[in-house]
Amino acid sequence: MVSPPSQYGIKYAVHIVSSHFGDLVAKVCECLLRRGALTHQNIVRFTEMSASQVKNCLLVLIQQNCVQAFSVEHPGGVGDASRRSTEYMALFDNIIHRMRLPKFVAVVSQELDKECVELFQGLLQHGRLTLEKMIDRAKSGREDCTAQDATRETLFKLVNARFVEHCPDPEPHLSPPSEEGAPARKRTKSSKVAAEPETLEERVLAAAAPMEAKRFLIMFDTATEEDGQKMGDSFLGVGEKRKSDALESDKELGSEGDRVLWRVNVQEFMHRFRHKACVENVRERLDGGAAVALSAMLETSRSMEKKVKTDISVPLSINTIYEEVMKGEAGRAMTLDHLRASLVMLGCERGADESYKIDLKNIIEQAQNEEVESVVLKKYGQNAYRIFRLLSKANRLLETDKISDTAFVDKKETPKILFRLWKDQFLHMEKVVVTGPRQTQFLLWKVNKSTLWPHVLDEMYHAALNLNLRVAYELEKENELLNLPIEKRSGPLEKRYNRIRTVRLLLESSLMKLDDAIMLFHNF
Amino acid sequence: MSKRKRPDSNVPSQSMTDQEKILYNLIQSKQGLGIWSRDMKRETNLPDNVVDKSLKSLLGKGLIKDVVNVQFKGRKHYLASEFEPSPEITGGKWYDDQGRLDSEFINFLKDQCLKHIRNLKIATVDMVADAIQRSRVLKRDYSSQEIGEIVRALVLDDHVIEMRSNGVGEFASIPTGRMCYKCSRSLDAAKEPRVGAMASIPCGVCPRIAHCTPGGIISPTTCEYYTKWLDF
Ligand code: SF4
Repeated sequence: MVSPPSQYGIKYAVHIVSSHFGDLVAKVCECLLRRGALTHQNIVRFTEMSASQVKNCLLVLIQQNCVQAFSVEHPGGVGDASRRSTEYMALFDNIIHRMRLPKFVAVVSQELDKECVELFQGLLQHGRLTLEKMIDRAKSGREDCTAQDATRETLFKLVNARFVEHCPDPEPHLSPPSEEGAPARKRTKSSKVAAEPETLEERVLAAAAPMEAKRFLIMFDTATEEDGQKMGDSFLGVGEKRKSDALESDKELGSEGDRVLWRVNVQEFMHRFRHKACVENVRERLDGGAAVALSAMLETSRSMEKKVKTDISVPLSINTIYEEVMKGEAGRAMTLDHLRASLVMLGCERGADESYKIDLKNIIEQAQNEEVESVVLKKYGQNAYRIFRLLSKANRLLETDKISDTAFVDKKETPKILFRLWKDQFLHMEKVVVTGPRQTQFLLWKVNKSTLWPHVLDEMYHAALNLNLRVAYELEKENELLNLPIEKRSGPLEKRYNRIRTVRLLLESSLMKLDDAIMLFHNF
Repeated sequence: MSKRKRPDSNVPSQSMTDQEKILYNLIQSKQGLGIWSRDMKRETNLPDNVVDKSLKSLLGKGLIKDVVNVQFKGRKHYLASEFEPSPEITGGKWYDDQGRLDSEFINFLKDQCLKHIRNLKIATVDMVADAIQRSRVLKRDYSSQEIGEIVRALVLDDHVIEMRSNGVGEFASIPTGRMCYKCSRSLDAAKEPRVGAMASIPCGVCPRIAHCTPGGIISPTTCEYYTKWLDF
C-alpha cells in the first residue's frame, strides 16, 4: 500500500513544483497534497484563488502528469438524481520524479540514438504530446515529409523500448464501492476489500491506466471512435455550469480530440533503476561476478515483471542466464562453472531443470539497512553502529545487558548509546518491571522498521529540500560572478569562480545520490 | 568461576564479634554477587560506624574481599573470600579488575581473528580458534565459544560476513550447513568504504535537523555545517 506523503515529502514536492511552474501552481498543488482529492470549486475555496487561475494551474499540472482528474458519483437524496463531480488528485510520485528526469535522459541516450533523445526530452518538457505535435516540433528547422517519417520512426523506437506510453484516461469514472459511505474517499478500516487496490490514489490510477494491450500500441492514423467519445468529456464536472470554459479547455487538457497522447513511461525507468540498485549493492557486498550474474538475470526478466516492487524474480534456466551473460563485455570471460558459483553466492534458489530465481526484496532490504547503518555510524560512532546492527539483525527485543555483552560495548556506556538512539527515533524501547524481593526494571530494545523507515524517508526529503535551497542560495550569491564574461574572470575572481563550480558540482551530485536513496526507500 | 562453599568448619567463627558474624553470614549468603555496604546497613539495621568497623576487621582477617561493581562505579561490593565475583559484578570475563571493558585486549583479539580469517579465506569459528591457539601469541588459551563471541562482534562491525556453508565452491572444505565467516569486502584496502547518501551530506547526520526549517533560525541558507562543508 502507498502511504500518504510525509510532511517533508510534501514540502519537497511543493518546492519542486514552485521552482518549475511558479508559486500559483505550487499553491494549488500543495492544497491537493495536503487535503487529498478535491473538486475545482473546493480548490478555489481553499486557496482563495480565482476560478480561472485555479483552472489554469490545474491545466499545467495535468499537462505535466502531476495531477489526475477523475469523476465520482454522489448518490442523490430522496427524489434527487445522483450527481457526478470531477475531482483532482495530486500525484506525489510524479512530482518527485521531476527531480530525476536527467537520469531518465541518461538511460535513453545510452540505448537509443540522438533523435530519440531529442524527442524524449521534448516529451519531458511538454509532459504529453500527440504525434502531430511531435512532428511540428521536428519540422521547425527541417523539411516536412522527411520530418514526419523520421518522427514516426523515432517514436516507434521509444515506444518499443517502453520508454514512452499512452497517456492515461484524462478523467476515469470511479464507481463508489457499494459497502462504503457516500464520500468515496472516506474508507473505513474494517471494509473488506483486500483484493482491490487500497488507496484512493491506487484506485484512480488503476481506473485511468490504459489497457495493457493498448499502452504501447502504435496506430498512426486511426483513432477509435470510443477514444474520441471519451476525450470529449468536459473538463469541469457536470455539477458546475461552466460549459463554455469546459469546451475550450478540452483541447489544452490533453485530450486533443481523437489523437493519441504520449508521455514518458516512468514505470520502465523505475524497473531499471531498481535493478541497477540491486546489481550495485551486490557488486559492493559480494563481487563483480555476482553482479554480472544478477544483471543478466534481471535484464532477461525485466519485460516479464508485472510491477516495480517485484519480490522474487521469475525462474530462469542456467542456459538463458548464460546466454545473456555472454552478451556483456564483463561476462565474456565467465565460465559456466563460475556463473554457477556466482548464482550460489547470490543466494539464488535453485529449482528443477537447473533454473534459478532470486529474492530481490531481500537485496533491497539489505541496501536500505546499509543506508541507515551508515548514518548511525557517522552520527553516533562505531559502538552505536555495532549495537544498531545487532538489533537490526536480531529483529526482536533485546535487553540492555545482553546487548552490551554481544556488541562488546562497556556496560556503563551501552545505556547512554541506547538512549541517544531511542531519543532520535532509531530504536523502540519497552520497560519491563519484575517484582520480587526488590523491584527490578529491565529495558528492552529493538529496531522497528515500520516506524523507522518512514522517519528516515522524511528526513531524506528534508535533506533533499535543504540541498536544493542551498544550491539556489550559493548560485544566487555568486550570480554576478557567474554572469561575468570569461576574460574578466582573473586572479581572485577566477578562484571564486572555481569554488562556486566545485560547490555546485558537489551539491548537485549529492542531490542525485540522495535521490537514489529516496527511490530505494520509496519506490523500490 | 567456582561458587563452591568451603566447609563451614574452616571459618574461624570464634574469632568474630557478634556483629561481624551477622555481617559475615549476610555477605556469605550473597555468594558471588556480594553486597553493597549501604544495603548491608539497611538489611542488618546496624549503625553505620559498627558496620564500617566490622567490615574493616573482616577484611583484615582475610575473610572477605571487596570488588568494584561494573554497573555503578564507586560502589564496592563485599564478597566472602571463597567466592569469585559473578559476571553481574565484574561485567564478565572481558572486563578488567577496575570493572572496565578491556577494549585494548579485545581489539587485539579482533585483529588476531581477522588475520586468521583472512588467511583461511573462509573459516568456521573452530578453525579460527584453532589457528589462534597454534600461533601461540596469547598468554592463555581461548575456547571456541570465546573466539565465537569475538568473531560475531566482527560481524557487527561489518569487518567479517557470516554465511552458511552449502558445501560447494568456496565452501567445499566446510561441511554443509555450518556457519562460516569471511572478510567483508568493505575491508579491502583498495576500496573506499561505501558511505550512504545521507551519511555523506551535513543534513543526513545533523543533530539539529528537527529544528531546521527553510527561513527559520536554523535554516539551510544560514547553516554552519554547510558552510564548513563547502569551504574549498
Ligand atoms: S541545513 Fe544545516 S542545520 Fe539544517 S538539517 Fe541540514 S545540516 Fe542541519
